[in-house]
Amino acid sequence: MPPKVVLEEAGLREWLGRVAGKTPLMAPVRRGRVSHDFAWVTDPGQVSLDYVRTVMPPKQALWPTRQPLVKFGEEGGGRVDFAPQAQPVAEGEPFALFGVHPCDLTGIGLLDWAMGQRDPYPDPSWVARRAAATIVTLDCLPDEYCFCALVGSSDTREGADVALTPLAEGFLGEALTPKGDELLRLARGGREPTEAEAAEAARWPEEKARRTRVKLGAEVGELADLLGARYESEVFEATARRCYSCGTCTNVCPTCFCFDVWDELELTLAGGMRSRRYDSCQSLNFALVAGPHNFRGERSDRVRHRWFRKFVYLLREHGRPFCVGCGRCSQACTAGISLVDVMNAVLSEAKEAATR
Amino acid sequence: MTETREAVAPDRELWVPEPAAIVNTRQLTEREKVFTLQLPGGRDLGHQPGQFVQVSLFGFEEAPISVCSGPEQRGSFELCVRDMGGLTHALHQLGPGDRVGIRGAFGTGFPLEEMEGKDCLIIAGGIGLAPLRSLIQSIVANRDRYRRLVILYGARTPEELLFREDLETWGADERNELLVTVDYGSEGWEGNVGVVTTLLPKVDLKPTKDFVVALVGPPVMYRFVLADLRALGMADEHVYVSLERRMRCGVGKCGHCQVSHRRVCVDGPVFPANELWQMPESI
Repeated sequence: MPPKVVLEEAGLREWLGRVAGKTPLMAPVRRGRVSHDFAWVTDPGQVSLDYVRTVMPPKQALWPTRQPLVKFGEEGGGRVDFAPQAQPVAEGEPFALFGVHPCDLTGIGLLDWAMGQRDPYPDPSWVARRAAATIVTLDCLPDEYCFCALVGSSDTREGADVALTPLAEGFLGEALTPKGDELLRLARGGREPTEAEAAEAARWPEEKARRTRVKLGAEVGELADLLGARYESEVFEATARRCYSCGTCTNVCPTCFCFDVWDELELTLAGGMRSRRYDSCQSLNFALVAGPHNFRGERSDRVRHRWFRKFVYLLREHGRPFCVGCGRCSQACTAGISLVDVMNAVLSEAKEAATR
Repeated sequence: MTETREAVAPDRELWVPEPAAIVNTRQLTEREKVFTLQLPGGRDLGHQPGQFVQVSLFGFEEAPISVCSGPEQRGSFELCVRDMGGLTHALHQLGPGDRVGIRGAFGTGFPLEEMEGKDCLIIAGGIGLAPLRSLIQSIVANRDRYRRLVILYGARTPEELLFREDLETWGADERNELLVTVDYGSEGWEGNVGVVTTLLPKVDLKPTKDFVVALVGPPVMYRFVLADLRALGMADEHVYVSLERRMRCGVGKCGHCQVSHRRVCVDGPVFPANELWQMPESI
């Protein structure tokens, strides 16, 4: 098997069939008329090879909406014990994650940091699932919501095991890691790319940038300072008047990782499960403490927090924004609020203030 | 920019609380109770004054609670808990023989090293005395390492004063200066009446540069006390406060304690006041 291989669509689907026969496979599938989502698939015919975005990001394979963390209790436990025997739950069965776009791969890399290297407390569930995943990226072209090319996530390959680039005919596959090589070796009927095909694939990032219609009012490197200086911006007030605090934007975000923890008891009260589920900084009670005192009790505080967390706080700490330009939040917003429009309104305010 | 950190092997037990036995409880006031807890084998918690633990009651999730005993207390540690409903209310129903889950200790502590050889000013409001008691106990246990120990404590009413026996002990040592006030006096109360800032003019805080300050209380108290300390000439970087947030995880993941660019659980809960001004949502 050469390091690069061209597979026709039929060959690609046949390969996916072999992969699914060997290991659980999560891949994008069509849901309804226009939507796509990641799902566990056994039939490679279901897999969507030309989707633009899924409703939920592929992060769900590694960071499910609900995740058990601790199992409590033992069989036939006796008296009520508030600290019963407990054992960790960390799932790490090998699986393949197919069809991840570069923006979402960037998101997974950001969560690798947030759940891993950021603190001396790596999250055991994330690390276990992440180690168990073999990731295949699939390149794509932007629609009217996409702006990966503006936030440096259009050509990410780090974190993937196999990279696939669509060609006029078929797909160019490249193994990026030994794990990826092993996976790609399951393919049959591949051939070496021609020079023209290699050049076609190499032009892809450029083509993506060229087709990006979204405009951002500043370079990524300037965002933290420009936005950071507009803490009091009226744009957040105006946005808050339209926002419902529904949390859809954070639910569909490939880089959001806030969670709430809850316990479920068995009817015997002797055992049960402690789990976590997605939480949203847009919810009224997110920053509530005893008192009661709510540190972001105004909707505009929470709206501002979303932009500041992604483009000021985490950007400064990590070095890149916690936004990968996937466009999900803007497309999914129940109030039609666009992340980029709000950003640009604050940026033009910032620039205006600078020239005054 | 991203710091390159040595990859740490994940602790599989990160989310698993360790069962701690309640060995004693003391009702301090109508709402506050102190729990003495013992980890398996009488192992020390190994905390710094100012750190917190995630207290877990299965069925009630977890809540962050500051340790109120000093690290010099061996074999057990104490938590002062106000009955605020939910987990804290359930905890108040428990007593010796019951177990609770513990994770931690987590977060930053008060700067004991910086305080060595310095004058220590401790300002507590309400249940803010709990984490400061841990600090005071540590200072008192190594009294010779520190110079003056000035403790200013304010509660709402005389009935709500916490740790009265400790207050007496600390006040009885002539090396220490202890002043107590209540917002509202009641029959038989002959002490100070007024908010905690009214105590500041009653102590000699000169030279201010010799002081390190530890301050814990409700958010509203911080604004007033910090303004007064500034007016007295205390430098913000020597004034430490502890912030309260309801962390779900305690280890920098869940997002609930994010205050501006900082996370209270791993970057705090103890912050120097000069950092507070960079954190508009802090108090």
